[in-house]
This record gives sequence, C-alpha cells and structure tokens, in this order.
Amino acid sequence: MTNHWIDIRNSDYILAMGSNPVKNHPISFKWIMKAIEKGATLISVDPRYTRTSRKAQVYAPLRSGSDIAFLGGMIHYLLENKLYFETYVREYTNASFLIHPDFMLPGDNQGVFSGLKGTETTEGFIDGKYDKATWAYQRDDKGNILKDKTLQDPHCVFQLLKKHFSRYNLEIVSSITGTPPDKLLAVYATYAKSGAPDKSGTVLYAMGWTQHTVGTQNIRAMSIIQLLLGNMGVAGGGVNALRGESNVQGSTDHGLLFHILPGYLKTPKAGQETFAAYNTANTPQSADPLSANWWRNYPKYSASLLREFYGQEVALEEAYRYLPKIDAGVDYSWLTIFDLLYQEKFKGFFAWGQNPACSGANCNKGRQALTKLDWLVNVNLFDNETASFWRGPGMDPKQIKTEVFMLPCAASYEKEGSLSNSGRWMQWRYKAVDPPGKALPDADIVNALFQRIRALYKAKKGVFAEPILKLRWEYGPKDAAGKVTHIDPHRVAKEINGYFLEDKVINGKLYNRGTLVPGFTSLADDGSTSCGNWLYCNSYTQEGNMSARKNKDDPSGIGLYPGWAWSWPMNRRILYNRASVDLDGKPWQPEKPVIEWHLNVWKGDVADGGWPPLASGEKSRYPFITQTEGHGHIFGPGLADGPFPEHYEPLESPMEKNLLSAQFISPVLKRFDRSTTSDVNLRASHDPRYPLVCTTYRVTEHWQTGVMTRWQPWLAELEPGMFVEISSELAAEKGIKTGEIVIVKSARGQLEAVAMVTVRWAPFTIAGKTIHQVGIPYHYGWVTTAERKYAANDKKPQVFTFGDSANIVTPNIGDANTMIPESKVFMVDVVKKA
Amino acid sequence: MEHMTLCIDISKCTACRACQVACKNWNQLKAEQTQNRGTHENPPDLSANTWNRIVFMETRLADGKIDWAFFNDRCRHCEDPRCMEGAESLPEAIVRDDSGAVIFTEKTRELDFDDVASSCPYGIPRKDDVSGRIVKCTLCVDRITHGLKPACVQACSTGSLNFGPRKEMLRFVEARVKALGAEANVYPDPMEDYNTLWILPLNSKHYPLAQAMPIPRRHRMAKTRMPMAVGVAALAAAGLMHFRERGLHDPHRKQGETNR
Repeated sequence: MTNHWIDIRNSDYILAMGSNPVKNHPISFKWIMKAIEKGATLISVDPRYTRTSRKAQVYAPLRSGSDIAFLGGMIHYLLENKLYFETYVREYTNASFLIHPDFMLPGDNQGVFSGLKGTETTEGFIDGKYDKATWAYQRDDKGNILKDKTLQDPHCVFQLLKKHFSRYNLEIVSSITGTPPDKLLAVYATYAKSGAPDKSGTVLYAMGWTQHTVGTQNIRAMSIIQLLLGNMGVAGGGVNALRGESNVQGSTDHGLLFHILPGYLKTPKAGQETFAAYNTANTPQSADPLSANWWRNYPKYSASLLREFYGQEVALEEAYRYLPKIDAGVDYSWLTIFDLLYQEKFKGFFAWGQNPACSGANCNKGRQALTKLDWLVNVNLFDNETASFWRGPGMDPKQIKTEVFMLPCAASYEKEGSLSNSGRWMQWRYKAVDPPGKALPDADIVNALFQRIRALYKAKKGVFAEPILKLRWEYGPKDAAGKVTHIDPHRVAKEINGYFLEDKVINGKLYNRGTLVPGFTSLADDGSTSCGNWLYCNSYTQEGNMSARKNKDDPSGIGLYPGWAWSWPMNRRILYNRASVDLDGKPWQPEKPVIEWHLNVWKGDVADGGWPPLASGEKSRYPFITQTEGHGHIFGPGLADGPFPEHYEPLESPMEKNLLSAQFISPVLKRFDRSTTSDVNLRASHDPRYPLVCTTYRVTEHWQTGVMTRWQPWLAELEPGMFVEISSELAAEKGIKTGEIVIVKSARGQLEAVAMVTVRWAPFTIAGKTIHQVGIPYHYGWVTTAERKYAANDKKPQVFTFGDSANIVTPNIGDANTMIPESKVFMVDVVKKA
Repeated sequence: MEHMTLCIDISKCTACRACQVACKNWNQLKAEQTQNRGTHENPPDLSANTWNRIVFMETRLADGKIDWAFFNDRCRHCEDPRCMEGAESLPEAIVRDDSGAVIFTEKTRELDFDDVASSCPYGIPRKDDVSGRIVKCTLCVDRITHGLKPACVQACSTGSLNFGPRKEMLRFVEARVKALGAEANVYPDPMEDYNTLWILPLNSKHYPLAQAMPIPRRHRMAKTRMPMAVGVAALAAAGLMHFRERGLHDPHRKQGETNR
C-alpha cells in the first residue's frame, strides 16, 4: 500500500477491483464503512456479485482477464472528457516528457510495441523480448529530458497515451469485458469525480489483479488513472495492494524473492564481477538537479548490507564476492523451480511454512515433481499435502524414494517478533504461549541448521567455504564455545536497523561507534555503517523499538497515528506525500492535509524529504523521489511487456481472437506449454472441451491452502468443502442442481466440487456470444478429508473437509514481469458427476 | 443488573461470521460435521452446539439487481418469554434475568423438550443430548453480568452487533431506522417486547422473516398466567408466523432463484 488501512476512511471514491475486501479483508470494511458514512462512494467491479458488491453503491461485472480493457476504457474516458487533474499531470508526472521519435504503439505495430524480437505465429508473436531503445526519453546533449509542458507535442507521453487508449472506446471495451456500456459509464463517471483537486479516490486491489499474465500491467493501468486524477500522495488516495497474508509485506521487504535482497536491492548477476560494477549497474543517474533520484544512494545501502552480513573484518569487495550471483536472464521463480524439479535438476527441498502440493499452480505437476526429490524437509504446524505427498491421491508409496522430514515450528502466537502489514507498518508482537512439544520458532530452526552447516564446512572444508565460515551471526546469546544458543528477535531487529561502526559526527551531533543508526540518511557507502535493510533503518533506534509503540494520539486528524507502531520509510504513513500539495506547498485537499509547508517546515506526516516546495526553485525536489526523474510514471519504460498497458487475452481464453489486435496473448511470456515437459503443461484455449471461464478466490474462514484453518473445527464447519459457483442460467443449461457434486475439469486435471447455483453470477455477452464464468475457492486439500486413509498415529480433523486443491486445474504460466501464476483466469468445463 | 438489549443492524453485517465462531469459543460449543449444501450458510440450523448463525438469502429482483441479505438468527430474549409457558411444570427451569436475558437453567433437564420447543414461536430451543439440558443463546449472561459485552458483539468488526442499556439501545435503534430511510423497520414488532432487536434496512419481506405476523402482545403487568387452553389458542392464532419462522430452520430449504 502507498497509503494504509485507516486511510481508506479519508477516501471519497473507493474502487474495489481485483479484490473482494469485505470478504477477504473483513477488517478493511470497517474503514470503508467510515468513508461511506462520510459520503464516499464504493464501487465494486468483479466477475460475480460479491459481498463487496453488496455493500457498494455502484457495481459492474467484467469477464476475468479483461481488466486492462476495462481500465483502458476509463483512461480513454478521462482524456476524451478532460476530466484529469491538469496541473498535477503536467507538473508531477512524466506526461510532458518526449519519447524517442521511432517509438511505436501497438495500434500501429501489429498489437505490440516497437522493439519486439520474437517468432511470428497465427496467434501473433511468441517467445518475444523487447529491445527498449525506442522506449527512451529524448534528451539534450547534457542528458536533460526534453519536455513539452503544453502537452501538445505528438511525441510527448500525454499525446502517446491519448493515441494509445483512443482504441479503447466504449463499444470495443464492452465487447471484450462483457460489461454493459451503461455500467462501464457508471463506473467511469463516478470514479472520474475523484479528479477534482479536493477529492480523493483509492483503489483496493489484491490477487484478482496480480494473478494474470498481464498482472503488472493491470496495476500499471490503475496507476496511470491515479496519476491522471491526482490521487497519489493524498489522503484517501493511492494504489493499495491488500496483501493476502499478514506478513507478506514484510517478507518481500526483507528479500524473500529470488531477484531481490533486503530493501529491494538487486540480487547480483553473474556479469557484475566487482562491487563497483554491481553498484554502477543499479545506481540510476539523473542530470536534473531538481530530481532527488533517491536510488542514487544505492551504494550506501548495499555497502551497509554487506557490513551486516560479513562485518568489518571482511572487505566490502570480498563480501560482495561471497554473495550468490544469478545468471543473467535466468529466473528462479516458483514455476521455474518446479519445472526444474520435474526435470530432476535438483534433489533436496525445504518446504518452509508453505504447502506447494496445494499452493502451486498446476499442482498435479508439482506433486509429481516432489516424487523426484531425494529428500524433503517440511517445516510447518501441521501435516499437509506436501509432507504427505507420497501417500496422496494417485501415489504409490512403494514407488517413491523421497525421504521426508517434518520439523514442527511455533505459530505466530508462540514466539516474539515483528510483522509488517499491507500498510507498511512494522508491528511488534509478543509471545502468548509456549509452542507445543518440540516445536521451535522458525528462526531457531534456521540457527540450528546454520550451526550444523558451518560445523560441517569447518570440518570438511567444502568448496567456497568462506561465505559460510565468515558469515556474521550476532543474533542471540552465545554459549562458552561462541555458538548462538537461540535467536533473540530484538537483536535481529537491531541488526536490520543498523549500527554505526565508527564514531561519527553528522550535522554537528556525535554518534558513537556501536550505537544504532537513527535513519537511512546516516548510512554510508564506505563501510562505516551496517544495516540489514535500509527501508527499516529508523525502526529500532537508541530511543528504542519503534514498532512496539502504542501511542494512540492523532495530531493530524486524518488517522496517521505516528506514535503507533512504525511505518517504513522513516515512519512516513503516506508515500509520495509531496504530491499532495501544490507548487507552493499548500495541500490540494485543505480538509484532509497530509503535509503542509508552514513557516519554512513541513507540518503533518513525515514529508517525502525536507526540501521546500517546488515553487521555491533549485532547493526543491520533484515529488516522486524514488523515480529517477522525480515524476510519476504515466509512461513506464522499465517493464518487460510495454511502457503502456495493452489488452491481451489470458493464456486460456474463450475468445477466438483478441478484438483489439492480431496479438492474442502477451508476446513476452515464458511458455511452459511449449517446453520439453509440455505433457504436464497443457493449454486449452478457445477449445470446445473447456468452454467455461474459471476463476479462483478465497473465503473469509480459510487461510491460504487451509493448513492452519482446515484443522480448526469452528472454521471448517463454516466452509466445509470445495464448491463451484455457477450461474442459475448455466445450471439450467447443464441440468445441475445446487448442492449436487460435479466435476470441474481443465486441460491439466479435474476435481470434485459441490455446485453452488447462484443468481449472483450472470452470463456475459462477449462479442455477441454468451460466455459463462464459474469460480472455485483455493483452500482445500485431501489431507483433511474423510475419504483418505488415516494411519494409527495420524491426527484426524474434528471436522472433515471435502475436496482437493483448486490448483489442480490452474495453469502454470506467469506474469511477464513477476512470474506470478495466472490463477485468476483459465478455461474449464463443469459436468455432473457420473 | 441494568436492563440490557442487543441490537443487530443488518445493514452493517458482512456475513464474516465472527459472531458464530466467537459464540462457540466463549461457550465452548463443539463444531458440527457440516457439508456444503450449495450455500455458504452453515451449520444448516441452530442446534445444541450452534446458538447463533447467519442465514443467507439471495434474490434477483425484477430490475435485475441482486438482493443479498444476511440475517443473524438467534433467541429474541422476549420480555414475556413464551418458552416459559413450556416450563410451567417447573417454573424455575427457565428464568428471565434482570438484564433481560432469558436463561435456560440446568433444571431444563427435567422439562419436556417438546413443551418448551413448541412454545417458542421462533424455533430457538434445542435439546443437548449429552447434558440433557435444553439450550440456546444466553445473551452471554456470564459475561454481561461482569461488565463485558456478549462474545459475538465483542467479535463484530463492522458495528452490526450492538449491546447496551435498554434505553440507550432503543434510542439507537430509532436513530438508525430513521437514518436508513423510509423502508427501514425494526424486527420483531413491537420492539418494546424484545431484548434482541434487528434493524432491517428494507421491508421485512426481503429477509427470511417474510410476512411474519406479530405475536399477540401479552400483558406482563397482569401477573396471572393464561390458562393452557388460551395459550394454545394464542399459539394457533400465531400459527402462520410460527410456521413461517420455523421455515428458517428447514435444512431442506431450496436454493436457487430465492436462495432461502
């Protein structure tokens, strides 16, 4: 979230799209309701009429996978009717920037942007990659970007935007989305009102936007709308991802994914042989003195991170040499890992706090892949489909070689530590009860593992042992032999915040060696500071643990509560808040100011940098400080699949062709269905055997694959099993009655579900044809069912659940930028069980 | 203790069902082996282990719009509890607490279940075969007498469930009904006769209480109990409603266009 949960109450127009907050983020509704009580309008856009739709004043249905068409139509509407916030667009976004004259839009270039190299097929290009040379800004000989502040130059971003989305007229958008034109207009006209300078609009999205081959571009489309309407940086605005897991924000912040290190620093690549080369590759340059270009500080953050990892005894260059490097162009994302495992490219696997046998897309393939392992370690609270994969449906234990180890771990209430919520708040949590039996906090399991591995390296001298032998490990009290006995979460939190490694005077104040760094502006690139994650610098200082604060004062009046927990970065509650004021530092929204320039200082939230307002000239800085050019990206040249969003069909679509262009699906996707293992990566698009669009979603009562909630009898009794929601029209057509068991099948597998016939899901009219959509929940698995065999020492659930994972039918294809699987749209059939 | 009232504002319910779980947690009620029957609604009925539950009802209206209602069903905690009629053989088995809570005591073991069940027009009492008691929502009398809110109210994040001194709640109900517009109303009617009140934003026909007939008001001030025959006659008069409301608890309810 650029904003935070409480801030939803400040919004005037709330768009819930790609999310169902009332059902899946129930507490968020408390804040949505406060906004509605003050006069806000809630808009719900969803394939089916959800509980959020029930609470919304405006509802529009759309076919899953058509969000870019829907939002593209909104961009077209805003531009045609001049409903954008002109000053904001001109001054704070890159709308005025001139783009390379050879840049071509999909409308003029076979449905793709200029620079694509790929193989041409009847579906358009495949296996493509963009050369982004023509996506560049025009610059003068000093490197300054050429701009046209009148927004008239045909090569300026604004005019290109207008031209690109002129193709997204109401008629074509309605044909693609299946949304009736009057409902499109109702949404567009309502949300456009947030473009008034004193009004704000927020978007609440979740996996309904990310789990698509065009997921990143779904969010880009909305980001463009938010910039056009001046909704970034303001109270009640922003682009807000409602995260699906209580600490998933923390996990990404701290570098859980393969391509990033903590603080969104980049994983080194094989070609970056020196620390200097690594820093140069990742430190952007700006010729514009008014651009803060915050990432220019990259070397300070990377050096401080290396100091945290390896300490002062190891030179920075040497420490950099110790870091793992990834080969350029190779991705180690989830789908690829399981593809490699299926091909027997590795032998051991830690399934830590996860249940890939149910959570991975196309999980029949994933379950087969697990059989290729020599060993599997499952760290979890309960037995699950991954730990017991060898005795799951269709498996013959005698034929499976894998040795499985189960390590029981502590649940969140059984250990101390922090978690970071969607609103970027780091919140400290205390231990309530001891973990049962031999269960340990995850960090203590890591500690034990590390001690054993290091001892083995010491004893047996492995290849490239230094990175393990020299790793700093100052995370807890030590025994006489110097071994950390258990992890102290406070020490970890302090290491994340960072220390001064030398005495330092900053702005006339002395900071002693060994004291905690007060904030990331004190971090240095010369090795004199350490910091485990620059974004979290300031979270645990000499003043104490900021995340444990519980002060309920709100001097802002807009719910910032600066003394409650701690928000990254620097306790800033609303990101890009310098865009919430005009050039003189006056809030666009005087009724709910985020910051205000008053007597030469910023009042309110922690401002995005202390520089004076833009009107004060060279001492100022543009508001979007993490963008190299300081401006919000209407044109986004950094992505793999285009600088503007363009509608492409999902991998599996009911359509014969893309109504907008000759390019059927995104041209730059990694296509497992075309790989050597294609027998388990099947695709069935526009195939009469699978005529129904299917999507997946969650219920309030279950969490992720249900490992924690299916064992909880009070939750299991509320949502006891797999269902498929189908419209009453489709049910009548197929002779399916509500409550009867049906089969949902895709090209990759099939599962049993209870038919839930509903009037809340109307068939779509797409390009003149009736298209039905159905939906299934995510959470189930065979381990808690009544039908399976239970061994004598198996725990039996008090309430059995019915059915297996939705991922049996989902496709393994990822977003072009993130590799998040397209679990939100694929093709199935639903038939009566014989 | 002060006279209290629980008020359920249907307009704010999102069917998250924290109230169902909180009730089971506080009262340590067992989960039931349920099945998805083609609806999110579960368990299918009130039971010895389920004292409140959300009833879902969806309809496609003539204009194509969807009407989806969530109704939290539970004991009405009548001011003049009809269930006490079923306890005439052992009057102390069912008591009405000062707080307004109607409480089924341990002595309900000695009552005839059918007498109690058939005297309640709302189909609330259930027999617990394990303890032998007749059971239902207690208004969390063991919490409220210690200054706490009922468990379900404590767990409600949207403000749908409200609890407080009766006078305050009646004022609250009136204000909410006014705010919700012309169609809004209070159930049951008249509200003076009940300690559990529902604020219905739409006409009651939109809820699984369709065409509920008001129960003939009894005269609590006249302390004489009606002869049994009169009581039966009164029940017969309320027969239609009795039937309709019991319809709420039919596990074979049809799903579909009107997903009752």
